[in-house]
Amino acid sequence: MATSFLRVCNISGIVLLPLVLAAHGVSAGDQVILSEGGLLAYVYVGAKHMITGYDHLLFLVGVIFYLTGFRDIVRFVTVFTIGHSITLIGATYLGIRADEHLVDAVVALSVLYKGFENLGGFQKWFGVKSPNLLLMVGLFGLIHGFGLATRLQSFDIGSSQFLAKIVSFNVGVELGQVLALIPIVLVITRWRGHRGYAAFYRAVNFYLCIAGVGLFFYQMYGYFG
Amino acid sequence: MKKLVFAAFALIVLCSHDMYLKLDSYFLQPNSKVSIQLFNGTFAKSENTIDRDRMVDVSVLANGERLRMDSTQWREDGDVTVLDFTTESSGTYVAGVSTRARSLAMDAEAFNSYLEHDGVVDELERRRADDNLESDAVEKYSKHVKTIVQVGDTRTDDWQTTLGYPIEFVPLSNPYDLHTGDRLQVRLLWEGQPLADQLVIVDAEAGEHGHEHDAATDHEHGPENEGHTHEGMSQLRTDAEGIIDVEVTHDGSWFLRTIYMQDSEEEGLTHESNWATLTFAVDHGHSHAAGADQAHDHEAGIPTYAWWIGSIVLVGGLFFYFQKRA
Repeated sequence: MATSFLRVCNISGIVLLPLVLAAHGVSAGDQVILSEGGLLAYVYVGAKHMITGYDHLLFLVGVIFYLTGFRDIVRFVTVFTIGHSITLIGATYLGIRADEHLVDAVVALSVLYKGFENLGGFQKWFGVKSPNLLLMVGLFGLIHGFGLATRLQSFDIGSSQFLAKIVSFNVGVELGQVLALIPIVLVITRWRGHRGYAAFYRAVNFYLCIAGVGLFFYQMYGYFG
Repeated sequence: MKKLVFAAFALIVLCSHDMYLKLDSYFLQPNSKVSIQLFNGTFAKSENTIDRDRMVDVSVLANGERLRMDSTQWREDGDVTVLDFTTESSGTYVAGVSTRARSLAMDAEAFNSYLEHDGVVDELERRRADDNLESDAVEKYSKHVKTIVQVGDTRTDDWQTTLGYPIEFVPLSNPYDLHTGDRLQVRLLWEGQPLADQLVIVDAEAGEHGHEHDAATDHEHGPENEGHTHEGMSQLRTDAEGIIDVEVTHDGSWFLRTIYMQDSEEEGLTHESNWATLTFAVDHGHSHAAGADQAHDHEAGIPTYAWWIGSIVLVGGLFFYFQKRA
């Protein structure tokens, strides 16, 4: 058991260390980078936001836990990517935005949803089958994209090359997503079938439920506060 | 009724061919390269560039010094004329462009339409009252535009210095001390004196997102341009001291515009107009230029390291618990 726990700590540490070192989300420093840099600055800030925006990653962790084959992972991640690209580019281009706390609260619920589903919650609690995962991932992808669009619109991105800047930010989000997913996929797929994986699976998905609820109330507190 | 008034204002702002100085961000860093864009069209879309020989004056006012820019510092980027410029030390900077007068002959219908769409309603009313709506016009016009930007954190007093343009907006306080909900008083000067009872249109684009949606704008006041949120649009009149009182209702890029039209005694002309605009930004009441990686107001929250350490501890604890139960 001790060996398994050390494995959890070591692997989690490798995965999470860069995230611990990075600042969360977007910042005034990012605004300076965007104001002074070209399109690459948008790629960088998009990637940074994805890597440090833990709510997006937690949802993906939940999705990947549920999947067994590499092909499935690619399929689901592609659907998620298409979903969030549609709303990220569309909403930003059209200037559609919503309160960040409300959007992030829905994103938090998506994390709770995935943990709950992975633990068989639908069957256990409601006696029903889980909704079609591919459909739900696409739907949540749209919501996550709207959250990213709301965040991008909180920057002063100016008028020149407007669409190119949005697309660059989106490209950055995809790059950040891939970078973050590589170690996550490695950890989950390598451990699957080995000793302690069942406990790890339950631990992480319980954690997703707790994190989802916590983030939801945190965002609602921010909204009403 | 409110909707009708709003639609009329929107038409005025969206269809005019004003000149504005714009920046992607009005919050800049010291000693950094910036590009000031000269839009000729609407605040959302520039319809054409401006020839250098039309520029009578191009100035940047910073830390008490007025720098005259020469024509080689301009370049063209599509339909936008761009001034590349390097900031120096922190301060509130003013940039201005004044253009040489040109004249334009219009038939009565086109002139009336222009007066209506560009918000020169006083002259339109005068023509109507004088039964002159059928008269053609030859108008001499010139444009005089300013922008105020904040470089670094230090506020300086250059915002109150006049550039000496024929017509000019001069704020009575530093726009970069403003927060949403504050009021800004701005004086309009005509040949250095307060201009009373002059119509001024005030508008803002939320979040400084000055983008447009590629609508085909018609230089001759076509109504096709659209796609912005003009949340703070209002039509104000200067008081006896030439002052308007603007309520800053939200963050964003703010712009003021006016066209002062007079009859002309000059041979071959019927009218003379002088156009003025002023742009600045209001954003959370804080500077983006500090360079520090501090969080936005709406980003303040759980520190990332605390989140991840807590997460690892929680996952580890749950793992032990489930492993023990297995």
